[in-house]
Amino acid sequence: MKKLFLIAFAASFTLSCTDNFKELNTNPGKLTEAGAREMPFMFSRAQSAAAMDRSFYQTVQNLGADLYAQYYALSVTSFQTDRYVLTPDWQRRFWTVVYANTAPQLKAIIENAAPASGEQALANILWVYAFHRLTDHFGPVPYFQAADPVEQIPYDNQEAIYDDFFKRLDQAVADLKALGSGTQVFQGFDLMYNGDVNNWILFANTLRLRLALRIAQVSPDRAQQEAEAAVASGVLTNNGQNASLAKSLKGNDTHGLAQTAAWNEFAMSSTIASYLKGYNDPRLGRYFQPDVTNGQYNSLRNGLPPSALNNPRNNSSQNSNIGTYWVTWSASSSAWTPNLEARQHVMSAAEAWFLRAEGALNGWNMGAAAQECYEQGITASLTQWGADETAIRAYLTSTALPAAPGDTENSPAVAATPIAWAADESTRREQIGVQKWLALFPDGMEAWAEFRRTGFPKMYPVVQSDNADLPSGTFIKRLPFPIVEENNNAGELAKGRALLGGPDNAATSLWWDVNE
Amino acid sequence: MTKLETTNVMTIMKTRTSIYHLLLAVCFTLCCTAGLRAQENREISGTVKDAATGTPLTGVSVRVNGKSQATATDASGRFALQAAQGDVLVFSYLGYRTQEITVGTSASYTVGLQPAEAEELGEVVVTALGIERKTRSLSYATQQLSADQLDEVRDNSGNIMNSLSGKVAGAVITPAATGPGGAARVVLRGNRSISGNNNALIVVDGVPIDNSSNPQANSTFNSYGGSDGAANLNPDDIESVNVLKGATAAALYGSRAANGAIVITTKRGKEGKLAIDYNGGVSIDQPNLLMDFQNTYGRGNGGEAGATAGESWGAPATTYPDNVRSVFRTAATVNNSVNLSGGTENMQGYASYTNNHNAGILPGNDLDRNTLNLRVNNTFFSKLTTDAKITYLNQKISNKPRLGDTGTPMGIYIMPRDMSEAELRDFEGTDPVTGEPTRKYWTTSSIFDNPYWDLNRTSVNEERNRVTLLGSASYQLTDWLRVLARYSFDRYDDKETGRYYNGTVSLGSVQPGGQYYETYNVRSERNIDVLISGDNKLSGDFSLTYNLGGSVLNRKSNSLQNMANGLSIPNQFNLSFATTPAFNNVSIIERELQSIYGSAQLNFRDYLYLDVSARNDWSSTLPSPHSYFYPSVGLSAVLSDALSLPEWVSFGKVRASYTEVGNDAAPYLLDQLYNFSLGAGQGFVSRDLTRAISNLKPENTQAYEVGLDWRFFNNRLGIEATFYKTNTINQLLYIGLPLASGYSQQYINAGNIENKGIELQLNGTPIRGERFSWTTYVNFSRNVNEIIKLSDQSNRADLSTSTRLASVVAVEGGSYGDLYGYAWEKDANGNHLVNDAGLPIVKANTKIGNFNPDFLLGWGNTLSYGQFSLSFLIDGRVGGEMVSGTDSFLGAYGLGDYTAQYRDGGLILPGVKADGTPNTTAIDAQKFWTAVSQNGRDAWGEFFTYSTTNFRLREASLGYEFPLNGGAFKRAQVSLTGRNLFFLYRGKSTLDIPGMQRRTIPIDPEAALGIGNYQGVEAGLLPSVRSFGLNVKLSF
Repeated sequence: MKKLFLIAFAASFTLSCTDNFKELNTNPGKLTEAGAREMPFMFSRAQSAAAMDRSFYQTVQNLGADLYAQYYALSVTSFQTDRYVLTPDWQRRFWTVVYANTAPQLKAIIENAAPASGEQALANILWVYAFHRLTDHFGPVPYFQAADPVEQIPYDNQEAIYDDFFKRLDQAVADLKALGSGTQVFQGFDLMYNGDVNNWILFANTLRLRLALRIAQVSPDRAQQEAEAAVASGVLTNNGQNASLAKSLKGNDTHGLAQTAAWNEFAMSSTIASYLKGYNDPRLGRYFQPDVTNGQYNSLRNGLPPSALNNPRNNSSQNSNIGTYWVTWSASSSAWTPNLEARQHVMSAAEAWFLRAEGALNGWNMGAAAQECYEQGITASLTQWGADETAIRAYLTSTALPAAPGDTENSPAVAATPIAWAADESTRREQIGVQKWLALFPDGMEAWAEFRRTGFPKMYPVVQSDNADLPSGTFIKRLPFPIVEENNNAGELAKGRALLGGPDNAATSLWWDVNE
Repeated sequence: MTKLETTNVMTIMKTRTSIYHLLLAVCFTLCCTAGLRAQENREISGTVKDAATGTPLTGVSVRVNGKSQATATDASGRFALQAAQGDVLVFSYLGYRTQEITVGTSASYTVGLQPAEAEELGEVVVTALGIERKTRSLSYATQQLSADQLDEVRDNSGNIMNSLSGKVAGAVITPAATGPGGAARVVLRGNRSISGNNNALIVVDGVPIDNSSNPQANSTFNSYGGSDGAANLNPDDIESVNVLKGATAAALYGSRAANGAIVITTKRGKEGKLAIDYNGGVSIDQPNLLMDFQNTYGRGNGGEAGATAGESWGAPATTYPDNVRSVFRTAATVNNSVNLSGGTENMQGYASYTNNHNAGILPGNDLDRNTLNLRVNNTFFSKLTTDAKITYLNQKISNKPRLGDTGTPMGIYIMPRDMSEAELRDFEGTDPVTGEPTRKYWTTSSIFDNPYWDLNRTSVNEERNRVTLLGSASYQLTDWLRVLARYSFDRYDDKETGRYYNGTVSLGSVQPGGQYYETYNVRSERNIDVLISGDNKLSGDFSLTYNLGGSVLNRKSNSLQNMANGLSIPNQFNLSFATTPAFNNVSIIERELQSIYGSAQLNFRDYLYLDVSARNDWSSTLPSPHSYFYPSVGLSAVLSDALSLPEWVSFGKVRASYTEVGNDAAPYLLDQLYNFSLGAGQGFVSRDLTRAISNLKPENTQAYEVGLDWRFFNNRLGIEATFYKTNTINQLLYIGLPLASGYSQQYINAGNIENKGIELQLNGTPIRGERFSWTTYVNFSRNVNEIIKLSDQSNRADLSTSTRLASVVAVEGGSYGDLYGYAWEKDANGNHLVNDAGLPIVKANTKIGNFNPDFLLGWGNTLSYGQFSLSFLIDGRVGGEMVSGTDSFLGAYGLGDYTAQYRDGGLILPGVKADGTPNTTAIDAQKFWTAVSQNGRDAWGEFFTYSTTNFRLREASLGYEFPLNGGAFKRAQVSLTGRNLFFLYRGKSTLDIPGMQRRTIPIDPEAALGIGNYQGVEAGLLPSVRSFGLNVKLSF
């Protein structure tokens, strides 16, 4: 009997009791496939991420490019980026946005969707959108092997990356055009155009035009070819086609800029104040709102030292927050309420017009003359922000010039750029730069990139730079690579740094940034 | 019960719950019926002697366990009574260790009792699977602690693991500084696993309990520390704790015990009249240690006053030196416990009720714990014994503190030095329209709220209901073979609720109206095992004991959250008011482990023991065939019995062992996962950041251990020493992948981590007099860790994704726990480099420390004089570093006392410029501290790195035992206790900056944000707590 027991006991274990292990080891709360069913959801994820969702907007964009574009200046001492001190962890965050939150989703769609399908085309366009913002911050970045599960990933030079951008956009547009008219792609999931292929074509071409001008100084022939192809194929021309992104209270997908503005740690920069106030620009009251203490449109300079921020006049409460589209002030609760579901601006027709204006000045075939494009750009932007025809007409012929913003530094007018189309080409280029910068608001990433390329608009130097690589009077040129690359991709990082053509710091100009 | 014996284990596994419930039901039913008298009694006689001197002992109580027969030894130490073969005789005598022998075929026995102060000698310890073993026969190190050593002086956290500090050689106890109910990290003999669990297993009455902790900090970002399973243990129910330090000790518990095991035996009923014990205590808890602040300068920057500035870099001002301290309260902790025990020879019962009220030093942060424990032991037909236990616990933690770089303590520390208590308490206004509170803060901030807003307008409360069931039945098949079946079930339900008033910013994203959530976490663990134990006398000199068993362990965890971020009616904290109701599936875990194991011990003349064991596990988390095997072997020789040694040697033993332990992995690693999350449109799907590993292999630890145990001078001096070496290979290791891969990490099988170390325990009784005696012990341990090999792909693995202040990394050739961060760069000649602005030039990714101590020391003493006894424990750690984010904020905000230097400039950092010329640029304190602290959160680690060397008076107690003669009371004792009383020494900053004095670590060097592998970096910890208590023990 004892022996029998022992035998039975041992036998019970030699028999397999593990039949249900596979089922047990499957997590019911997760998916194990990225197939056709998941693709639309992945596209939504990539869209929200690429445009900076709530979790990343503040540290990746607002405390970076938005300040470098001098739309805003910091009114608190808690952050130092306005004095060009860089926070390495935030550079890593930008890479997370693109490589972890965007690229794997798009790659899955590109690889799994039918060749030449609308899904593949949209994923490719979004891919270019996400990566151009990244490479324009850092320069060479891992690109061709992005989202591959490998232990080391090489950096690619910007020229090769841009070449691939153009190819992808060209192919995507061709594929979209080949679809039947009225075809909807990712309908119910596409947060920008809800699957409207025609708008996606315009968006892709405008992106191509933007990228073409970006390389206009460094690769003029390619630039002209791409720009002309883009315009010929059709770019954004009216505000009804503007790209913006749906936001939601659900999850972590609220409007990042609105949330950041409610925290109220930045206010109108004296640079944009000088232009908007001097121009009597109708957009002043849309982009910004009167300060909550004195009811004035007040600004402060970028890069104020902590001691200057002691001055109550430089506090948030005495300077202009961004407009009521994003946040509203409640006097009774002494707090800002963010408009967390406001659609997020991505790209506007005005930008396309200004890009065409510059292209036309370059002698490219932009389908219209430079002045017409310039004035269409202003019209589109003012219309977008609610100005009426009378105001627009007055603006186009205005003789107003930028004014002293009236800040604690007693800053003079930042520039003397007129609004009305000037006679000489260099002023015209500057005008286009200024107006495009105004129209791009609040897209600080694109505005900073174009400021670096063109030098426009003229900006105040930061009052104090605490970055030894960027002496007083200079402007920030790029962001250094994330330091975690030294841990996990060290060999390739070294090669990537070699591609930079300068030290891996914030003073080294990118490939397309040849203007001094 | 006969049915159970023959039930095929396979069937048990398949039929699942019905059988377990049947088993339980049977146990409980049988508890209530009377057993029958045993048969075949015959006369057993013998002599009881002092084991050390051989002197016969008079008046020794001798009884048959579980039966009524009892007697006492006569003047020559002799006894005689009726007992049956297989009965257990219990010998107890004042001043001697109680001893048990099992009646065999012989009718006569000689028993040597060990003097009580040499407890460990004849001590029977509870080892793996609840198997009792004599310490002398063990081939590995254990350390036994009595209830008194653990429950008299209690930690404010209420977690008994913290009471092991300093008392166990080789144990590094790190409490999470999260207030009452906080988790504790217990690492024995160093960290073995790079990415996995390094905590010791906790076993109660033979069965591992769930000690998983709710999420632990993995960065300095603000978070709420989760409690753990050990925090639920009721110290008042504990009889003894045995620490099995090595892998060997725990081979039979399987993988989870690879880090050693804390084996807890709880109280059980004793035969006899009803006995009632009462244990009550109150203690007063207060911050032990606060940082040193400057008390000269007020709000502002650049030496100028700034009314709305958050920093204290302003002009000299009226300051309030105690403003920080004023926020913390002196808290009162109250413990009350009563237990009843008693029974007949065949049935003993134990019941207890304990109420703990532990108050944290932050207002509103309390823990209330009620524990009900019921245990019944039965004997039937003399061959069948059962043990049934049910423990029910209800625990509430209110206002859990949020730690981290923007948590509540940090919010307190950073208040300006010129902020009065009154100004600080003015934390809110009222919205005249809605009547709701409006947030007030002294400066504009997206990351901090007034601490009083935090304390009054945000709260996270946690309630846990936990039921632990244990039922076992043991049947003596023959006089040499016993079978034990055991069922245990441990389940707890946590409900956590979070409330954040409209306007709260410190959480990050509280949507308009406020935020409310409910998180439900249900965890259960079910273990069934069957164990056959045999004991055979092979020949005159040899005997064999052996165990063969099998078990099935199921673990489940399900964590779900209902989130209302945004409330339609502001501050109505109920899901009904959610503007956007959201349901989050936080985590699901389900896994099963099936095991068979066996062990055998060959005993030669009771002085030479050979042990072998083997185990095979099948884990659901591994790919097919799910299986792994691991063996162990050990040898123990009691030389004092084997050889003729001098008189002054009371006992001597040497031992050696080799063990392997396998380990499975976390579930769901085999397939690439994709996550769903809410968002615009219809929601998002994204690839999981962890790369799947389809060919996962089990992890393997190989451990060698040799040790000795010697006693001298009639056991008045003892030394125990252990040397060990463990290598953990094929580690389930997370390594980082390039950011561009889109994965944050991947699991690989690689690595070889080596731990080598020594543990020494000395104990002695220097004075043993009529009225006065002094016993003392010293524990010393040292562990050296080396990462011999990481992987073919990578020679570095990050243990956390956070790079703030410092990263915790494992580097090939380095040791576990290395801290890397920004350090002040040096030129080839060793001069510090300074830039043109006169500030340090730093280099990223430089080693700035290691969080493990070099060695640990504990010195405990008990002095008795008459009815008085005084105990104290001094313990210390030497070596190890911590990067303090608290300190970087003190620097950034101009708060630390050291920031008062060089306010007006004149700080010329000693160093050279890039061209080699000496730095001549003078800077002021604000420039320097703002630069190196990077505003606090992202500080350059080396400038805020501290040695964690510290020595403290950990515990002290003064007790008085009332002399009682008859009456209602059997025992009455009163003691005054103190814990964490003061530091004898605290570590200094590691970077020596000439012109500045070395700073002293501003927080408790042993505290941590959490108990995970993210250690050595802190930010915004609660101050450690000093407790003064009064304790009363009464027995009726």
